[in-house]
Amino acid sequence: MSARDEQPLLSVRNLVIEFTTRYGPVRAVDGISFDVYPNETLGIVGESGCGKTVTGLSLLRLIPSPPGRIVRGEILLQGRDLTRLSEDEMQILRGDEISMIFQEPMTALNPVLTVGTQMVDVLTRHRKLTRKQARVVAIDMLSKVGIPVPNKRIDEYPHEMSGGMRQRVMIAMALSCSPKLLIADEPTTALDVTTQAQVLEQIVKLQDEFHMAVILITHDLGVVAETCQRALVMYCGEVMEVADIESLFERPRHPYSRGLLDSIPKLREEKLAELPIIPGMVPDLMHLPPGCRFGDRCSRATDECRLQRPQLDTSATLRNAVACFRPLD
Amino acid sequence: MDVVKYAIRKLVGGIPLILGVTFVSFLLMVYFGPDLTFEMLGKNPTPEQIAEVRKELGYDRPFLVRYSQYLKELATLDFGLSDSTGEPVSSMLIRSIPISLALVTPGFILGNLLGVLLALVAAYHRSGWIDKAIMGFSVVGMSISFLIVIIAFQILLSSSYGLNLFPVRGWNVHSLYDYVMYVTVPTLASVFVALGYNTRFYRAVIVEEMTRDHVRTARAFGIRPGKLLYKHILKNSAIPIITRIMFSIPLVIVSGSLLIESYFGIPGVGKVTFDAITTGDQPVLKAVVGLTAVLFVITLLVTDILYRAVDPRVSLK
Amino acid sequence: MSAATEASTQVPDVHEHHESIWGKALYKFRRDRTGMLGLGIVLVYFVAALGVWFGIWGTEWSDVEGPKWGAMSAEHWFGTNIIGQDIFQRSLYSTKTAFEIGLIVAVLSTLLGALLGALAGFFSGTWIDAIILWLKGVLDSIPFYLFVAAVAFALKGNPWAMHVAMVSTFWTTTGRLVRGEVIKLRNFEFVEASRAIGVPQVTIIFRHIVPNTFHILLVQATIVFVAAIKSEVILSFLGLGVQDGVSWGLMISESTMEVLAGFFNNFAWASIFLFVLVMAFNMFSDALQDALDPKKVAES
Repeated sequence: MSARDEQPLLSVRNLVIEFTTRYGPVRAVDGISFDVYPNETLGIVGESGCGKTVTGLSLLRLIPSPPGRIVRGEILLQGRDLTRLSEDEMQILRGDEISMIFQEPMTALNPVLTVGTQMVDVLTRHRKLTRKQARVVAIDMLSKVGIPVPNKRIDEYPHEMSGGMRQRVMIAMALSCSPKLLIADEPTTALDVTTQAQVLEQIVKLQDEFHMAVILITHDLGVVAETCQRALVMYCGEVMEVADIESLFERPRHPYSRGLLDSIPKLREEKLAELPIIPGMVPDLMHLPPGCRFGDRCSRATDECRLQRPQLDTSATLRNAVACFRPLD
Repeated sequence: MDVVKYAIRKLVGGIPLILGVTFVSFLLMVYFGPDLTFEMLGKNPTPEQIAEVRKELGYDRPFLVRYSQYLKELATLDFGLSDSTGEPVSSMLIRSIPISLALVTPGFILGNLLGVLLALVAAYHRSGWIDKAIMGFSVVGMSISFLIVIIAFQILLSSSYGLNLFPVRGWNVHSLYDYVMYVTVPTLASVFVALGYNTRFYRAVIVEEMTRDHVRTARAFGIRPGKLLYKHILKNSAIPIITRIMFSIPLVIVSGSLLIESYFGIPGVGKVTFDAITTGDQPVLKAVVGLTAVLFVITLLVTDILYRAVDPRVSLK
Repeated sequence: MSAATEASTQVPDVHEHHESIWGKALYKFRRDRTGMLGLGIVLVYFVAALGVWFGIWGTEWSDVEGPKWGAMSAEHWFGTNIIGQDIFQRSLYSTKTAFEIGLIVAVLSTLLGALLGALAGFFSGTWIDAIILWLKGVLDSIPFYLFVAAVAFALKGNPWAMHVAMVSTFWTTTGRLVRGEVIKLRNFEFVEASRAIGVPQVTIIFRHIVPNTFHILLVQATIVFVAAIKSEVILSFLGLGVQDGVSWGLMISESTMEVLAGFFNNFAWASIFLFVLVMAFNMFSDALQDALDPKKVAES
């Protein structure tokens, strides 16, 4: 699917994002690095609060600026550092080269404007089209995402559509300018299981058709397994492991990844007395340990682990790497 | 057609309200109100004279009859003659209502327009010093009694202790220049007070809209800030803002004008009402209260329809 | 699958720190300097009012012993008014009047609003709700000053007419808010559960649902307090307000003719006293509202 010696489309290096809270500054993302290659689907997986959504938003510089800010790091889109662009330049990029779709289709669309108006607004913003021409493109996009009778639907209001359909509209809108990268933040979490499957299928199909890369942010390992070629596992604002899907699921190297995979209820040969869990709790972001953040929950932790922060070992490039002093391999 | 049917349905639905208001007011003002019999008679009236006056004033008839008589007056807009001046009430109203409108309108428009503008500025610079300054000013505006503001402005602008630029009271309007002279001080006073309340409310609405998901989506698609502001924030804020503006109309016209007019001696509806209160002039009071109730119901109706026109989520059912 | 990812990594801590809305609110409020300042000022006024109430000070408010329109002096700190009464004494006494009006109206209208709002909300959709809503509509449509006038007439000049009128009209906003909240709460599971085990409706309403509206009631009470004091000013000007004793409203309406002749003491001092109290109360009310708002994070 992706050639081994291709250049990454997007390169994030040592990104740190901080938020000011009444308790003091908190780093939602603390030095993460990853690459996204053209035409691949990269999953960013982790539990709520691990920083995956913040990461997604930061790629488009959408972090609300008080109270959050990008402290340091680089976000290189084909060589251009997005952290250095002006707001005007970012506005041109958003929706055009990089698009993002969000979790709640219910509220993500403006309730007092028709679907068509919103789509046409995006098209006329980024392309030299008249509104009439844009409308034609929009109708075409709607049919591409599998919405029946698109020429009628285009004049409907968001509340007249179901959740699944609204999400498809969002996807259509996001893809209408053929972005190089689509960031999908929990796109199916608010949908029921059947619709979930349909929407994911849609994303995969379109990714192929539009030759774009997709970053799929989710806490659902099942979704990752179905749609991604590679995934990175985040915990407490850091990347713990990045690997391609088969490796991650069959031979997880980080103890945290292992723990996550073990806890998925699955059909087994023998019944277990209890569902395996990872003991302990996610550390408070205000009181982080000096060493590995997964340290006190890890059965393999040593003193070195507790005192030194393991970095992603990039010896084998960032396609497959793990941040651990005692990985499972 | 839908709109007309809907309007009729709503008007009809407003009838219990009108009945309620008129009933309560009638009960309180007229039934328990001052008995003017003796005022009209002078000293040592004979029983026959008393009975005659009472008959004339309509006091001798049973309650429900008097009430239905009142409703009839309301429907035909014929309220008889004022107890204190003898002038037909309807002509008093026809004379005074335009004056009140001319007095109150500039303040109303300015107060809301400026309120929205200030709110936009405050919301845009949320948590910054501009925001805090505007909000501080609003709280001050809300905390000073309207009466104090009126008196203070009068001192500052109209009296010899202040700038002495404007007339102290009255309404001698024969030209545009006169109009500006007489309307300025009252307008400034009402805008000052209204701004306090308006700005706060509008800012809250705008901030609420600014933080909605769909605004984030629009930003994520690169929509320019100006367009964002207009299409996504203002349009959505319009609903609560319009609702509030509409609802304040009956209040502003009646209660607002009452104070300003009685203080500045301007012969509008407010002053007429004020005089009626102090002299216990029933026909006038009946007329004002009844008409206010009707105005309120009509406002409710118009607001409702406007609401549906602006917000597609709400249907005409 | 997704649930497992979540559940697998968190074991509930037995010693969970409960943060109730009130605990959080207190914390947030204490850090709000404007709010604390406001509260402080209100308390000072309150102490002043108590002092008048107990006859410790402000007792010479009606004594006519000073010169007509005397200037501010050591004997009469704020000067005297047209008939020689000490303005300072009168201003001080008015603190008691203000608190009386404010407290009575605030407490009664809040209670009334809570009661009717809860009933309307709980029985929403039935005739009880319809009647209460209709009543609210009627009271909202009658212009306030006219209503007070009407009540004053009806009660034949009773000094409590003003309070009655105020309570009758100020409960409506509280009632509307409580009704909305009760409708929301009514759909919560704990209500269904209570019903299922046979708890009588009245108990459900008043022991379970209404306490969850206390934060609304508290904020509304402060808003009504301010509204009552401010209304009194205009009512007194119209002759419908305080009948016995003195209030800032009466002082201001006394002063309307004086100011054009250049004597500002009466006006100025009554206005200042009134303004400071109202402003302080507004600051307090705002801070209270912010503190109780779960969505707002306190500024660091």
